[in-house]
Amino acid sequence: MSSQTATPPPADALHDGAASGSASARPPRAAASSSRRPRAGRVVLYTALSAGALFMILPFVWMVLTSLKTPQEIASFPPTWIPREWRFENYLEALRAAPFGYYFRNSLFISIGQTTGTVVFGAMTGYALARMRFRGREVVFLLFISMMMVPTYVKVLPQFLMMKMMPFFGGNDWLGQGGTGWLDSWWALIVPGAISPFAIFLFRQFYLTLPRDLEEAARIDGMSEFGIFARIMTPLIKPAIATVALLQFQNSWNNFLWPLLVTTRQELRVIQLGLAVFQQSETTAWAYLMAGTTLATIPMVLLFLVAQRYFVQGLSGVAVKG
Amino acid sequence: MSATAPDVETGAAARQPARLRIGRGEAHDGGRHRYPRFERRQRRAGYLLCAPAVAHMVAFTLLPVLAALWLSFTDYRVLAPPSWVGIDNYVAMFSDQAFVKSIWNTSVYTFFTVPFAMLLSLLIAVALNEKIRARAWFRAAFFLPHVTATVAVAMVWIWMYNPRIGLFNAALGAIGISRINWLGDPNWSMPSVILMGIWQGIGVKMLIYLAALQGIPEHLYEAASIDGASKRQQFFHITIPMLKYATFFVFVISLIDSFQVFDSIWVMTQGGPVNSTTVMTYEVYRSAFQSFRMGYASAQAVLLFAIIFVLTVVSKRLTRSEDV
Repeated sequence: MSSQTATPPPADALHDGAASGSASARPPRAAASSSRRPRAGRVVLYTALSAGALFMILPFVWMVLTSLKTPQEIASFPPTWIPREWRFENYLEALRAAPFGYYFRNSLFISIGQTTGTVVFGAMTGYALARMRFRGREVVFLLFISMMMVPTYVKVLPQFLMMKMMPFFGGNDWLGQGGTGWLDSWWALIVPGAISPFAIFLFRQFYLTLPRDLEEAARIDGMSEFGIFARIMTPLIKPAIATVALLQFQNSWNNFLWPLLVTTRQELRVIQLGLAVFQQSETTAWAYLMAGTTLATIPMVLLFLVAQRYFVQGLSGVAVKG
Repeated sequence: MSATAPDVETGAAARQPARLRIGRGEAHDGGRHRYPRFERRQRRAGYLLCAPAVAHMVAFTLLPVLAALWLSFTDYRVLAPPSWVGIDNYVAMFSDQAFVKSIWNTSVYTFFTVPFAMLLSLLIAVALNEKIRARAWFRAAFFLPHVTATVAVAMVWIWMYNPRIGLFNAALGAIGISRINWLGDPNWSMPSVILMGIWQGIGVKMLIYLAALQGIPEHLYEAASIDGASKRQQFFHITIPMLKYATFFVFVISLIDSFQVFDSIWVMTQGGPVNSTTVMTYEVYRSAFQSFRMGYASAQAVLLFAIIFVLTVVSKRLTRSEDV
């Protein structure tokens, strides 16, 4: 951090590497070693990998196939793979059987809200911790790092009580008594999860890789500290923004425990919770359940396939940089 | 907020004159002397940028953790205010059959999920590190279960585990094995939950291993093959030692994850049958939100935290002592 050189930012190199396509970017060693391998080894390798990969995606295939079958076909044993009759109406009927559309919208709303918060506040804090000098910076950073270690289950109980006792909300008095506070509200669903220490940590790591010359020059040109942050430095870490946004979206979309605790009203149910409730009340409506499950998985599958490299980067970035 | 493209231009343009105007050494000293107010301005900006996240962290993480610690020494059943009971909750935990069982179950779950998933993910990562076609597709397939929600995939597994018409029993039937009541039989419920845990846990571990494998310097292998080391020797004497840090990292995050398994338990078994799959997090949930014993539940959660913390520290020590 103290001695940045004039060479191009290392961040660029990292991102270019990731951006050039995961399949094409392989280390030279692999190329050298495999050319000497006998053909039989290759066959074993591909067979094992294909079998493993098949086992991994089999449940997803089974989910979609089940969601398109008739109840009679689902009840038959042994089960058939390809539906004899493709019943796409199952999806429309599932939406009538339970408000999966509502649940989906709620999840989307929460995920977008929390992702926006995490990116905006995470970038601000990560930037300040990486590139600004102020008293207490180390302490703040250490606090965030230690908060990353706190298991959800330790804080979730007091957080719940806090939601219940939020003063002036949900019929509460100024001491937080008498009403339900933030329980059963968008506040409770969105606010506690709207900033994550992990995002701050990740942003900090990315901001650290930018060269110092950039901010010095902008400062000489008379730009404000906020201007340097927002208009010079942040546009250079767009891949980090994508990574943090995707990881947070995934967390929010897949979250189950917190919505389970703080909501009781059906209108506020998220899709994961809606699925669980539906499964426990309609124990035999497999086609509808699988249709709902498909709806609940589609956004993440699509996001992942479109932006795979950012997921990969987020994880490997943490692993390598520690 | 405004258009981003011109901002990049500004950045690129600013880079050039900066390098022309000031040398590297001058930049720091010269900059500071020419702008006496710069440090104060930066300090203020730094505080402002940090303030929202710090406030959020204090309110929604730090205070709750401290509150959990305090509550763990109280009897608090929501209707009446908390009353101090000392270590009673911690004592009571160990005569609570279900909770003792849940500690055992959590350990069993971890003991079988973590090493198996780690071994499989290492093998897959090594295979994917070879020069193969469609590597991105393979990687995506192995990673997909991690990206999708545990609740959603648990739905599919419940369906596959269905004792009457499920896929697993159909497969067993095809090779002449009689039906198993996967989630309904206390002997099979835990293995069933573990199998899904392994399936879902492979992706992240594989990806971390893959990143670490690609970071091993090529020249180590070159030198080894010049010295006549076989592929197998190279694997055990270069690859495995070089993966030590990654292994530690994978181990710790897997441990933390598996000690906090909850969603799949809640959805698939609700801790049953006869507590055969209840885990620590599920007991915390049950004490807090079914029995409304907030103080007791906090003590259980604090114990969970302590176990995770100790395991993390111990594994850190173990890796470090080998380093020296």
